[in-house]
Amino acid sequence: MTLLWHEVRRNGKSLLIWACSVGLLSAGCLLLFQGLEESMGEMSEAFANMGMFATVLGMDKLSIGTMEGFYATEIALLYAIGGAMFAAMTGVALLSKEEEGHTSEFLHTLPLGRAYIVGWKYASLVVLVVSYNALCLAWILLGFAGAGQMPPVKEFACYHGVQLLMHLEVGSVCYLASSLWKRRQTGAALGFAMLLYVADLLCRILPDMEGLKYVTPFYFSNGTDIFVEGRADGGLLLIAGCVILVSVLGAVAVYRRRDLAA
Amino acid sequence: MSDNKATYQNAIDIRNLTKNYGKHRGVQDLHLEVAAGDIFGFLGPNGAGKSTTIRCMLGMLRFGQGEIRLLGKDCVGRDRHAEGDHKSSRPGHLMGRQWRELMNQVGYMPSEAAFYPGMKVRDVIRFAARCRQKDCSREADRLCGILEVEGDKRVEELSLGNRKKVSIVCAMQHEPKLLILDEPTSGLDPLMQDAFWGLVSEYNSRGTTCFLSSHVLSEVKQYCRNAAVIREGRLIRADSVENLCRSNLRKVRMWEDGKETAFSHTGTVEELLHRLEGRRLEDLLIEEPSLEEVFMHYFREE
Repeated sequence: MTLLWHEVRRNGKSLLIWACSVGLLSAGCLLLFQGLEESMGEMSEAFANMGMFATVLGMDKLSIGTMEGFYATEIALLYAIGGAMFAAMTGVALLSKEEEGHTSEFLHTLPLGRAYIVGWKYASLVVLVVSYNALCLAWILLGFAGAGQMPPVKEFACYHGVQLLMHLEVGSVCYLASSLWKRRQTGAALGFAMLLYVADLLCRILPDMEGLKYVTPFYFSNGTDIFVEGRADGGLLLIAGCVILVSVLGAVAVYRRRDLAA
Repeated sequence: MSDNKATYQNAIDIRNLTKNYGKHRGVQDLHLEVAAGDIFGFLGPNGAGKSTTIRCMLGMLRFGQGEIRLLGKDCVGRDRHAEGDHKSSRPGHLMGRQWRELMNQVGYMPSEAAFYPGMKVRDVIRFAARCRQKDCSREADRLCGILEVEGDKRVEELSLGNRKKVSIVCAMQHEPKLLILDEPTSGLDPLMQDAFWGLVSEYNSRGTTCFLSSHVLSEVKQYCRNAAVIREGRLIRADSVENLCRSNLRKVRMWEDGKETAFSHTGTVEELLHRLEGRRLEDLLIEEPSLEEVFMHYFREE
């Protein structure tokens, strides 16, 4: 537990900055929508007829002119990318920062053990990602309340539950990478998160690349799909769970057998 | 140090340790024994393998061959399931709780102490104590008092010497049975060096075994009872400091035809006389080498 709270405290500032930035921006957009609702109605028709662009953003399924549609197509995108980037950035630094900052000799000579360190550091990643989601959610609900309309409970809860899983999946894969690297590769982690988003766009546009939906967690956590269908694809959720499990076990296996730099 | 009575003869027992970094040499077939209750110096030039040995002992590096026992426990050894693979050894035949119990009795001070930026010194010391699940506040306060450690300062504000002092507190506050110190006095001012050696002597008198690597030969001679010399990854000699200093190396200065010549001689007096035979010497001076010269001789010996 000591290590868990140590990591949560050390990442607290980054958590607040990301959660408040994404949360405030989402809440601001929701409040802005209220004032633009009339003109958005006209825009939604134009967007819906924009072919691939509309398909990619899900505007062919939901109208951007409604609060629900606006949230599922626009704000959900901001929330998903922001959360994935935060999780990737946090996950990739947790283990590698010890060697980069030359603190590994301090930490690893305390009576903890490598598996314990990997385990509790991963627990801190979970706490940070859950906290990020909770803080953002609080801002978004404030935004909805300010706009005077609340989202449909079932779809909204399902969407945010799946988003949490998606953020954990991205964070876990980056955590596995962190166990391999001696330096924190923040750029690579952010690039990885963006690449997953691009993979989602590609598999929605190009039929030949449909297989990418099994690779990118942005596919099963897509806001439009969840708000239209009211549920997420169970098979893809299972794959996400397996990826998380393999990533954590992989991180333990790799880190326990690796030489650690001073 | 609730139980100071050692049930083991050697606090450190290293056998056949071999560690390579790919094609680069680390340590080769190293044997080393440090008796319980000893203050042991580990000497060698830069890159000789001192830190590699220490880091293998602490489980930070995996190694190809050999066994390491700390405080009588076979804590680090080769993975027996993967014979012949130099990448297969793993730290910790003792796993989980047993490893943690062992490391709870070990204090380590690295040569370059680094802590988490943004943390206050007091928090770093408390963090180390909490990881040991032990209330070390009394001993930590005492050590901070002796070493004049300022608890309110942030880690990034500390000089190398002050970081070293924090590292000493972290290594000693839980009153370990084995202290492993990597170049402990580098960066400390003479007053603090004195305070540090006072603490080492105090802990040693209470039963703690001290193993330290150092470049400062005078302090090894003054404070260590036994020492080992390592060069190019191989152990050159391990003996009492007294015996190590008693060398048959002599500095010879001679004056011949008005010219002064100096050389070092290793061997018997008879051999030296044979070497000087036939020379028309005006004067001859045979001196005992300084401690530094004796060890330089070990370091350079082919």
